[in-house]
Amino acid sequence: MLSYIIRRIIQAIPTLFGVTLVTFIVFNVVGGDPVYQMVGKGAGQKEIDALRRELGLDRPLYQQYFFYLKQITTFDFGRSYATKQKISQMIKEGMGPSLSLAVPAFFFGSILGIIISLLVALYRGKLFDRLTVVLSVAGMSVSVLAYIIAGQYYLAYMSGLFPISGWEPGLRGVPFLVLPGLIWVIVSLGSDVRFFRTVMLDEINQDYVRTAYAKGLGKYRVLFRHVLKNAMIPIITRLVIAIPFLYTGSLLLENFFSIPGLGSMSINAINSSDFPVIKAITFIGALLYVGGNIVTDICYALADPRVRLK
Amino acid sequence: MNSGILRYSTYSIIIGLIIAILSIGCSQRGKSLGNVYRYPMVTRVKGFDPALGDDIYSHISIKQVYETLLQYHHLKRPYELVPLLAESMPTISEDGLTYTFTLKKGVYFQDDPCFKGEKREFVAEDLIYSIKRVADIKTKSTGWWIFDGRIRGLDEFRKESQESETTDYTRTVEGLQAPDKYTFVLTLTQPCSQMLYFFTMSYTSVVPKEAVDHYGEEFLNHPVGTGPYKLSEWRKGLRLVFTKNPEYRKEHYPSEGSEEDKEAGLLDDAGKELPFIDTLIFNVYVESQPQWLNFMQGNIEVTGIPKDNYNQAINPDKSLKNELADKEINLNINPSLDVTYTFFNMEDKTLGSNVHLRRAFCYAWDIDKNIKLMFNDRAIPAHSPVPPGLVGYDPDFVNPYQKFDPALAKKELEKAGFPGGKRLPTFEYLSNDNTTARQWSEKFVKEMGDVGIKITVTSVTWPEFLNRIKNKKFQIAGMAWSADYPDPENFMQLLYGPNEAPGTNNANYKNATYDKLYEELLKTTDDEQKSLIIKKMKDIFAEDCPWIPGVHRLAFGLSYSWVKNRKYNDISPGNFKYLRIDIDKRNELLKGK
Amino acid sequence: MRKSKSLTQKALTELGRDKLAMISFAIIAAYILIALLIQTNLLNLPIHDTVGESYEKPSWAHILGTDIFGRDVFIRVIYGVKISMSIGFITTLIAVPIGIVLGALAGFFGGRIDDFIVWIYSTFSSIPYLLLLLALALVLGKGIFSVYIALGVTSWVGICRVVRGEFIKYRERDYVTAAHALGAGPLRIIFRHILPNVLPLIFINASLLFVSAIKAEVILSYIGVGVQGKPSWGNMISDAKLELVGRGVYWQFLGATCAMFIIVLAFNIFSDALRDSFDPRISNKTKER
Repeated sequence: MLSYIIRRIIQAIPTLFGVTLVTFIVFNVVGGDPVYQMVGKGAGQKEIDALRRELGLDRPLYQQYFFYLKQITTFDFGRSYATKQKISQMIKEGMGPSLSLAVPAFFFGSILGIIISLLVALYRGKLFDRLTVVLSVAGMSVSVLAYIIAGQYYLAYMSGLFPISGWEPGLRGVPFLVLPGLIWVIVSLGSDVRFFRTVMLDEINQDYVRTAYAKGLGKYRVLFRHVLKNAMIPIITRLVIAIPFLYTGSLLLENFFSIPGLGSMSINAINSSDFPVIKAITFIGALLYVGGNIVTDICYALADPRVRLK
Repeated sequence: MNSGILRYSTYSIIIGLIIAILSIGCSQRGKSLGNVYRYPMVTRVKGFDPALGDDIYSHISIKQVYETLLQYHHLKRPYELVPLLAESMPTISEDGLTYTFTLKKGVYFQDDPCFKGEKREFVAEDLIYSIKRVADIKTKSTGWWIFDGRIRGLDEFRKESQESETTDYTRTVEGLQAPDKYTFVLTLTQPCSQMLYFFTMSYTSVVPKEAVDHYGEEFLNHPVGTGPYKLSEWRKGLRLVFTKNPEYRKEHYPSEGSEEDKEAGLLDDAGKELPFIDTLIFNVYVESQPQWLNFMQGNIEVTGIPKDNYNQAINPDKSLKNELADKEINLNINPSLDVTYTFFNMEDKTLGSNVHLRRAFCYAWDIDKNIKLMFNDRAIPAHSPVPPGLVGYDPDFVNPYQKFDPALAKKELEKAGFPGGKRLPTFEYLSNDNTTARQWSEKFVKEMGDVGIKITVTSVTWPEFLNRIKNKKFQIAGMAWSADYPDPENFMQLLYGPNEAPGTNNANYKNATYDKLYEELLKTTDDEQKSLIIKKMKDIFAEDCPWIPGVHRLAFGLSYSWVKNRKYNDISPGNFKYLRIDIDKRNELLKGK
Repeated sequence: MRKSKSLTQKALTELGRDKLAMISFAIIAAYILIALLIQTNLLNLPIHDTVGESYEKPSWAHILGTDIFGRDVFIRVIYGVKISMSIGFITTLIAVPIGIVLGALAGFFGGRIDDFIVWIYSTFSSIPYLLLLLALALVLGKGIFSVYIALGVTSWVGICRVVRGEFIKYRERDYVTAAHALGAGPLRIIFRHILPNVLPLIFINASLLFVSAIKAEVILSYIGVGVQGKPSWGNMISDAKLELVGRGVYWQFLGATCAMFIIVLAFNIFSDALRDSFDPRISNKTKER
């Protein structure tokens, strides 16, 4: 088992290496020059040159790349161009707010999605099924921006049910997270339900289900005992894969609801060409994703010894 | 039967969840507020290093904690300088080169671990240190331009800081002297009539060396100043909280002001001790929707009016809508000291050499429509770079090319050698990336197209926009300039030849006569003399058309009536130490909702 | 070969009987037609003409009112069809061939080639999608071409993965081994023998990709890296963040949202029906009923 884990981790290294290469090419090679924005309006050529030297932008590309690799391996991403803050600190501070929105929303959304899709599978082909499919597709077809603008205006401002925007640490923050969380659930519910429904229908159509029916087992027994159990594997896989991406939170929700997370930080960084920050966020995102995959694989391997041999 | 139960239980779970969510949401309301002031900010603050604070929100934040030698009088307009950390206004030598400041005694820095428990008094050496720090190239200050070439010996100091590993702050600079603890003598290389204004800018804020050394690179997160407030919480991207500095020296509310100020109640607190408010909270709203909605709900005290909220708030006659007036909201309209302009790259072969072509552009641009659509009539056409409120602004001055006249545009185009736009190459208009800029460029393309000038729009991010301009890789672009200090020189320098890119002369305009006049203006202190010189410069500017002149904006601000002592300050906003909140009134009004 | 063809035929007849799917198909066809007419200048829309005052309410003359410069919003929404369809189409055109070729090579040959291609796509898929998209759009500069490329480059991964999986499944099949034995070259086997079997799956994935490209354009516009100078739904929707609450100008927002909603809905329903009809298990089941 240990050798399998080690093998999986070694396999992940080339991927992470690829990620550094892509981000480096995008920002250091093709990306623009951030210097003019940083020097301020009264600067002359001397100041510009000095700053460029300071940032290492005058060095050859391979040196810049090695410098970047060094930053990554030490988890010291330097300082932001725009805010001059330490990037590792920025990410540490932003992760909490992002997760405080993303995790509960993701959790409730998934559970709701599973319950609904189970019902749909039960009523396959009936009006309830049709209606849910149309509703979930309809939900997916409206831009998240529309939900945010309308939700903030009608639900928070006009009706006063929720605070308009803001964030607090701990339990005091719950009221602030409800509306953005609700929007998150609505936006993700559509595609979740569709996916879960397909998975469940796949299972329902399997031979063993027919056998179970033939044996005279009741509808609900089959559904909960067999179908749900087997359908959970692809469902959980999908959910696990989605988890690492939760760390970037939601770009738009955070911006509109003043949640000081990594999502709004990313937009801010992109708008101000704050390349070191974007590179760091991207890399850590990739790291979590790869890590998440390894954990999933290990779980599979534990469950099914045959996997290890592949 | 069974399935029905399942279905109903699901429904009830969903409904239960909704009710739970709503009840959490509702429990949040109806708290009463103490002596706090809540202020909206649009972007994240960069930090509290005064040497780096070049954007407006950093300036406002820095100002709560740090202080400068001088400040603008809270009430008097036109802007007047008064002492802040200085005891009185400085004495200036006959030749205009030596400034002698006497400093206030008994001013202490806020308690901070970097002082190791000792009280630390502010002395003249601190000021010298702070100025040297801006000059030190390793500080990467964005404010060097205010001293560049102006203070005796400081340029050499900067040069050495570039060459040596660590900057030697003990090195004496001839132009910065402290004969005793409370006297500061500044010596210039040549007379500079703007110098005193620089001593109100955040760059000249007094920082203690101990704090810089103690916190190192983290100094920007640990402000240690002499000011009325201390930073008590900073959650980046969400809010900043300041609390009253308990050891703040005795500063008093001004007792001089105009009749108007008196009528407006701005002198009610005359002579009282500052500051009035205990806690300042700056909330960050990246999007304008939450800011507006929060203001309307009374969650912040003041707001600007987003362009698209204008019609909702203001009547066509520029008075406040009744719904807002009923909420005890006040409207303040003040001219901004700024100018917007669309400029040509004068180094472009076609555009730079052909004045008739440039005039055709000017005539083709519908300025009134621009003011109506893009500014909601919150602006007046600019005829020269100098905005109203400054010496040299003349309401009767008419720039003949600040006029919308497509027929004349076509005529000029003909004179330029391109009748009807024939043989005229397509020009590139460089635009920024937000919604307003996009709408703006669409209008530009259309109006130029109407007279026969073909335009393509290239839309880039703000940093890329600057790159292109500072490298002279553009043909036509638009910008705005806001005053750093209330002196027309700050606007006339936008066209001074040696300031070409990467300097502030974005048009790369060069005119020998204009440049000579500008140099003369720098040395002039007499207002009447200044006006005369500026008049000549304006004429040259108008005839040459390096810009399509834009507008001077009017600032519209809203505030609740419980905020007292508010006076608009365009040059140096954020004077919260003067503000007072009628706490009872606020609680009463907010409860009534 | 023969067997699969008859399966396809059967599936298509199945599809033809699904009314909802056929309506969706008609809608998609109509959108494509509009886009083509605009593209070929047969339908010349005056998108830049001022027809009235700024922000006029919807009326019979202008059923979706006017925008800030008094231009007819309905005309601009229709023009947005072309922009959106071209974004969806070109993105698909970039992403699908990359996905098919890489996926086929990896799945068919295995070994080093497979390792390399898997490395590329796992690299791309481990970068947070939206960040990569925004970063690319930012770096490439503004405008519709950046949108095409950014979306194309970021969205081939899904198809590649599916195609690779299918090829691994098929390369062991008897008829493929037989073709090998008969001396067919690898290219012939890939394109003549295996690919046709994978096509329905590719088609379904491509249609989903089409939809996500249309939706991604809104986000790009919100960040300010979207289409410039032409009316696109994304721009109209993101303008609404200022106009809707502030001015009560709902018509741009409504028009663009509805236009987008309809096409996305149609695509989703159609691809669902397609999937159902090509899945032999499900179709058998329906027949049983």
